[in-house]
Amino acid sequence: MSGAAATGNRKLVFAVLLCTLLTAAFLYFFYFLPKANMGPEQPIAFSHRLHAGVKNIQCQFCHPFVGRSTHPGIPPVEKCLDCHNYIIARHPQILKLQHYFDTRTPMPWVKANYLPEHVLFNHQRHIRHGIACKQCHGEIKAMDRIHGRRFKMGFCVKCHREKKANLDCWLACHR
Amino acid sequence: MKRRTFLKMAGVGSISFAFGCSPPDIHLFSQDRASSDMVPGKATWYASTCRQCPAGCGVLAKNREGRVIKLEGNPLHPVNQGALCQRGQAALQDVYHPDRLTTPLLRQKDGWRPVSFSRAEAILKTRARRAAEKGPDRVRMLTGTVGNSMMSLATQTLQNLQSAPPVVYEPYAYESLKAANEKVFNVNGLIAYRMEKADVLVSFGADFLETWLSPVEYARKFKAMHALCGDSKNIFYHVSPYLGLTGANADHWLACRPGTEAIIALGLVRQALDIGKGHHLPRNFYKFLDRTTAAYTQDRVLQDSGIALSLYEKLIIQLMGARRPLVLGTGTGACDLNGQQINLAANLLNLLLDPQLRLLDFKHRYRVSMASGGSEILKFFSSLDGDGVDLMLLNGVNPAFNLPPGSGVTEALKNQDVFVVSFSNFMDETAVLADLVFPVRLPLESWDEYGGRQPIVSTLQPAMGSLNKAPHLGDVLLHAGFEKNRPAKNYKQYLVSQLASTNGVVDETRWVQLLQRGGKFSFDLKVNRGSHKFKPEKLAPVLGRGTTPLPSSPVFIAAPSIRFFDGRDANKPWLCEIPDPLSRVAWQTPLLVHPRTAGQKGICQGDIVRIRSEAGSLEAPVYVSKLTAPDALAMAIGQGHTAYGRYAAGTGINPIGLLSSRTEPGAGIHLSIGLVVIEKTGRRMKLAHTDGSRIQHGRAYALRASLKQLQQTGPPPRNGLSMHDFPLTLPLPEGYDPQRDFYPPHPHETYRWGMVVDLDRCIGCGACAAACYAENNIGIVGVERVLEGREMAWLSIERFQPPGSMEQVTFLPMLCQHCDNAPCESVCPVYASHHSKEGVNNQIYNRCIGSRFCAQNCPYKVRRFNWFDWQWPEPMNLQLNPNVTVRSKGVMEKCSFCIQRIKTVHDTAKNEQRKIRDGEVTPACVQTCPTGALVFGNLADPASRVRKLVDDPRAYQVMGYLNTKPAVIYLKKVVVDT
Repeated sequence: MSGAAATGNRKLVFAVLLCTLLTAAFLYFFYFLPKANMGPEQPIAFSHRLHAGVKNIQCQFCHPFVGRSTHPGIPPVEKCLDCHNYIIARHPQILKLQHYFDTRTPMPWVKANYLPEHVLFNHQRHIRHGIACKQCHGEIKAMDRIHGRRFKMGFCVKCHREKKANLDCWLACHR
Repeated sequence: MKRRTFLKMAGVGSISFAFGCSPPDIHLFSQDRASSDMVPGKATWYASTCRQCPAGCGVLAKNREGRVIKLEGNPLHPVNQGALCQRGQAALQDVYHPDRLTTPLLRQKDGWRPVSFSRAEAILKTRARRAAEKGPDRVRMLTGTVGNSMMSLATQTLQNLQSAPPVVYEPYAYESLKAANEKVFNVNGLIAYRMEKADVLVSFGADFLETWLSPVEYARKFKAMHALCGDSKNIFYHVSPYLGLTGANADHWLACRPGTEAIIALGLVRQALDIGKGHHLPRNFYKFLDRTTAAYTQDRVLQDSGIALSLYEKLIIQLMGARRPLVLGTGTGACDLNGQQINLAANLLNLLLDPQLRLLDFKHRYRVSMASGGSEILKFFSSLDGDGVDLMLLNGVNPAFNLPPGSGVTEALKNQDVFVVSFSNFMDETAVLADLVFPVRLPLESWDEYGGRQPIVSTLQPAMGSLNKAPHLGDVLLHAGFEKNRPAKNYKQYLVSQLASTNGVVDETRWVQLLQRGGKFSFDLKVNRGSHKFKPEKLAPVLGRGTTPLPSSPVFIAAPSIRFFDGRDANKPWLCEIPDPLSRVAWQTPLLVHPRTAGQKGICQGDIVRIRSEAGSLEAPVYVSKLTAPDALAMAIGQGHTAYGRYAAGTGINPIGLLSSRTEPGAGIHLSIGLVVIEKTGRRMKLAHTDGSRIQHGRAYALRASLKQLQQTGPPPRNGLSMHDFPLTLPLPEGYDPQRDFYPPHPHETYRWGMVVDLDRCIGCGACAAACYAENNIGIVGVERVLEGREMAWLSIERFQPPGSMEQVTFLPMLCQHCDNAPCESVCPVYASHHSKEGVNNQIYNRCIGSRFCAQNCPYKVRRFNWFDWQWPEPMNLQLNPNVTVRSKGVMEKCSFCIQRIKTVHDTAKNEQRKIRDGEVTPACVQTCPTGALVFGNLADPASRVRKLVDDPRAYQVMGYLNTKPAVIYLKKVVVDT
């Protein structure tokens, strides 16, 4: 009788332990794995920390339309090679870049920042009002890969309220 | 469940949850090389030329991130001056059509085999060389109307292959009009008309608002002539056996028996001579006219044509007394048996009533003049067999659809000895019969030049990259037609050298300027007024033989369509879904039957009838209305394709199947046929019409004011609460009345957007509706959904007729009224329809839960509910406007006053730190309107155009008596006398 109970207990303990373990593994994979918070993997190992942080290149150098259009633009491969034809030109990642250029293949960068489809964010307006990039995008200078974020309405409205900016639905953000 | 299984599943589940639950990556593609003219998020505009019909309007193509997403008229272009018709708006749907061919197809015994473009070019080259080696005239080419450069290259190519120049085929070739111009004025081709200067306009069926010569140009000129000017208005008479859109815009429609227009026209010549006109003409010519028209007395005219005496008298008085009269001949296709006589009589009337011919513009010639006559086209096909032709090239034509069944096109194309190449982007009826289908670049992807109204040169440039590897037709000809003696390396080079030699475009700067403007528009011209040596012997064969007697039983008329032209536009879903302007039937092709005929035969609306003629028979649903004369049956040309892609094939009915292929020189192929038999089949069909009713049921929607009323008194005071005396209440704080209003007024900052719709200028052409579809990503629902009343158009041109007189049509563009007291706003349980600070009634899609309360409470019925997720089969999705959300299932939507355009202008104004100027915001509908019927602006600005127009005594609000305070203000249509 006691033997059977002990076996039952042991089974229960085992099950609980296993569940805990699995949960812990899940949490680890989801939140704490070094890769988990890095943001999506990009076609080449481009580091914003190196370019924007260490080398201190202005955001607008690569995203030139940010003050002129709704979209900031992502640099054409040609632009990377303007420098990288001279800087670490034989680096395997740069060779990969060169390959995109030579084969005239558009580079499939992975989107990191998400807005709902029914919202149009106008970069130009915000830049012209002196809103710094990092106010929404965070400390890019410290990120190797952009982790990006999923912007929600509350995030926008909070700031719009504080700054007494446009709060009209269609005239401001929705489209 | 076993313990092990549970653990396995839990383990695999949690790990896959951790890794696999993020949505799939979305890619942002960067270009490999920077393009100089692309800023993401900003549009780039390229000037080009519309090639949907021979008119050749100038367009500006809006390119976003490499894709053309919208076409607008080029304001600098003299033909259309910034406007476009619905077919022009829909030209985009050719480019992105899901059934567009991406590779050439070669006919094999077991079906079609896709081949590469280089292989197809090689096949063509071999065939061409072999044909040329065999002897002269073994290559034939049939082409649609093309520009000078393309024509000269095609001619040169065929010459090099020892063959005759290409034959130009246009289904609407205006043969009788050309012949009449030659006979009366001694000018070769189709001249232009200064319609804007006329004070009395008479048309004997010329459908100049729909397809005739240059519809956008004449829509503008017509309204320049016909709109209310001060307190007077010029008159337009339409003489035709069926109404059509042009007739619906006439002040008086003379519904004559089919085939009797010529008698009326010659009767008018008789009248003019009787009152002493024409003494400036040479004696012998005058005598000749006097003699030949002697038979057309008033009695005969009235008896034969069946028109009312009062109308005929009115026409005579006004036309004979006019200071600047203009008479136009037959409609697009010489659709009458007596087309030649009508056009001769029209020209003679112009000559008699206005000896200086001030309203005829001899400076310009329409390009479609180059089209060959019907008999030549029929000969082209019938002679293939005997002439030993080896290779036939077809460009931009669909004769297997457009020519009547007896014309022998199908047999000729099926001829085994002739290798037929169709340069078509679609498997249309002709391509299906070809041996090689060779898609070439479409106009929006090409370098070219075309002048719809000569001598204008209108340029085409690629407004986007090509979606496939198809070469330009010019390049194909240069490759296949020449060996080492090629006149140019490629077609662009050929084009540049042609323009250099003919139009002085000699250097890079001039070339770039030419492209930027969209062409060369100003010329120093010597006017060739024709020699005017009036020779009775030229007219005698036509006028001398009298008019062909009237066939006794109903006459069937195939009417050119504003939506599909000759059928080439039937594959565009926007045009199928935008209903016919008069019957309001979408997708289907009803047969228009007069109530009297219907009554005699016991036919009701929606009955399917069988119509038989000597040439064929067809079955069609009936639409009973007084849109035709009692003896006429009418059906629109364009639908009823057996091929031509998913939207065209099997949709509607092709009336050409009933027509005869008999033709005579100078008359063309008749688009009407007599002695048809109509009988019931016993089956019925529901018509997919989008209108609720033809009449207004006593309510005030589409109002008319008589000219007399406007002249005599000011508007009656309106200060009551009933339908007829409710005051015009602007959606502004001044429109707030605590006695009437339950809700407080809306505080509008600086702007309060509003629109003025002048019903007197609206011709009902539907260009605005097509522009709205293009701009706002409106879904195509198809015929089944239209039958359920679920069409999605944000803007529809409603038409209303007084119960007694169905020919008096008032068109009412109906769109969201952006009310200040919006009934939709107060019933939304989730605040999704929301009033913006600039007065626009917002619809917040992500907030909408689909209760549809708003649509129920909207008295204007302009709200549209997404019952499904609408499909944009690839690559049609590339046309979607990135600045407008694609709405999903379960969401309400409606006109937004093109909020994306308002926002763009706000941005520009903010950048320049100024206010928005009046007229700076133009919604898509306002932009494309050929007659300027729509005006958009800021009602809060007392100096704005809309605000001033509101003070017009004709101003009213549709159902304003509900105190909705609409921001769309209508101006009543003006009728000359009632």
